[in-house]
Amino acid sequence: MIYELKLSAIVPQMTGATTQCCYAAPGDALKMGSKLVDLSVDLSSAFAQECPPVSYYRIVLREPAFLRAITAKPGDFTAVDAPLALFSSTPDEPLDEAPARPVRVTVAGIMHHDAMWSGQQE
Amino acid sequence: MTAIPLTLGPLQAKGYTILRSGVRWLREDGQMCRANEPIGYFNVTLEPTDTRAGSQPLFADEMELQVAFAARMSGRLKLDEAMARGGYLNVRTIDAWEPGTRIGAIETEEEPDADEPGQLRLLKLAGRRMTALADVHSGLLPGWHSRTRGWWCDEGEAPLTLLSLGVCDAAGLVLGAQCAFMEMFEAARQGMQIVYVPDHPIAPCAPILLDQLSRTPAQFEAIVEDVHRHFGGPGKHLAADDWMFIGTMLSVLGKAPLKDRYNLFSATGLQQTGPADAVLLSLAVEPLSILRHRTLGYHMHVMRHHQAAAGPAVRAWLSSAFEPVKRPTDAIRQDYENLIDTLQRQSGSRLMILNTMSTSGHEDISCYLGFDAPLSATLSNVSAKELNLMLDDIAATREIDIIDVDAIAAEMGGAQHLPDGIHQSGMMQVVLRQEILHFMSDLRASRSLAVT
Repeated sequence: MIYELKLSAIVPQMTGATTQCCYAAPGDALKMGSKLVDLSVDLSSAFAQECPPVSYYRIVLREPAFLRAITAKPGDFTAVDAPLALFSSTPDEPLDEAPARPVRVTVAGIMHHDAMWSGQQE
Repeated sequence: MTAIPLTLGPLQAKGYTILRSGVRWLREDGQMCRANEPIGYFNVTLEPTDTRAGSQPLFADEMELQVAFAARMSGRLKLDEAMARGGYLNVRTIDAWEPGTRIGAIETEEEPDADEPGQLRLLKLAGRRMTALADVHSGLLPGWHSRTRGWWCDEGEAPLTLLSLGVCDAAGLVLGAQCAFMEMFEAARQGMQIVYVPDHPIAPCAPILLDQLSRTPAQFEAIVEDVHRHFGGPGKHLAADDWMFIGTMLSVLGKAPLKDRYNLFSATGLQQTGPADAVLLSLAVEPLSILRHRTLGYHMHVMRHHQAAAGPAVRAWLSSAFEPVKRPTDAIRQDYENLIDTLQRQSGSRLMILNTMSTSGHEDISCYLGFDAPLSATLSNVSAKELNLMLDDIAATREIDIIDVDAIAAEMGGAQHLPDGIHQSGMMQVVLRQEILHFMSDLRASRSLAVT
């Protein structure tokens, strides 16, 4: 079975998110609770502020799956509803069939940390 | 419907003549206005009457001086358009302040409840420029300031001073939409002064404020010497951004807003007040790791978006001359307690602290495996909860006021009114301003009781 991960609207006003860290690569067998990506959401375009309203989130798997493809690398911007990754329930399942459902994930707000892409640009 | 003439009312400063510019209107002729809503403003200057006096005139370091004004009742405005002289005559001060000057009238259905209902309520504004180069002529408190303040009081009133040292979550509350304290002026009927010191470029967390309170002139000179030695050596090529950052940083390091005293002019004349009766801080500005100078020991906390304003030489210096020091919750608590105790001893200023939003309706954690321990170092909501609880623990042993942003945002709806956890909606700012004014009112009452 093929599962997909699209970027959901974590915050209603967001238009997209920037990938800050990728914790897995295509081919990895991921367990429930595996970290997948850290993202930053910048609401500057929605709110004019003197400091950028940036917040950080982590996406974590809530079910075991094989990561088959990941579209965003650190620094890339992904729009809301655009695909982030594809998964399958077995390691070599063909990817030419339509995803059966979204992969089950948890999204949580996290603190900024040094391994993030934005931290390494400073 | 009664038409009540609107007059400037008294404003004086012994030893000075107060001059004003033409009016710049904030409302148009024929518009409705609320009671206490500013409808226009002047630039003003205080000219010494005795030019032989050798000392520096009062307010010389506050190159922006303005007076905004509001009617004391709501109604339809009939403005005297001739009061706006246009061009530079609305910028330069050209006329003496005359209490009887009429700026128009207000048509109102309200019953006057004051002896002189047409006497305007005045909001005095002063801005100390970060650099004298920031001479911008547009609008209220224009330009770039190291400190701005606004005060108001009727005859016989002693204004209480609130100093805001927080970041965005505090700044928006006190400054308001036009960055000129107008919402606070409209909401607060008793005499008050609001002072705002921005986080440019050093953010006002507790270790920074403790450094400011204890730093001696000799210690400041040592910092200046060290900076000169590092950046002034041969072969150093600094970018314009580096120079501007260094200049601003040294200017800020040489100041201690918590010790500031303030000159005020009002209907009854000049008075001096300060240090601040209350200090508004933001828990959100407390970092979990702060930079400490490797040899001189002072702290540095530059918000991430302000670090981008520094040039490459300053960014390299911040990386090499400072070491990061972790601040677990207990360390933050200790810094707060030191700050509260020091302020109590030195000035009696009371801390008013905005706590942080600690929940999110969008979070759906069912398993914590993907989040490293300790959770307070990984998950922002767990960190916020620990810090909020830490503030409550402090309040159990020391006198502070906690403005419960966490509860208010949850009640109003965080997604709508506090989408990133820091920047509030206008509606939420109104509620938080009322909380601040409620605490200021309690403080006024307790100070009055202490006097009697």
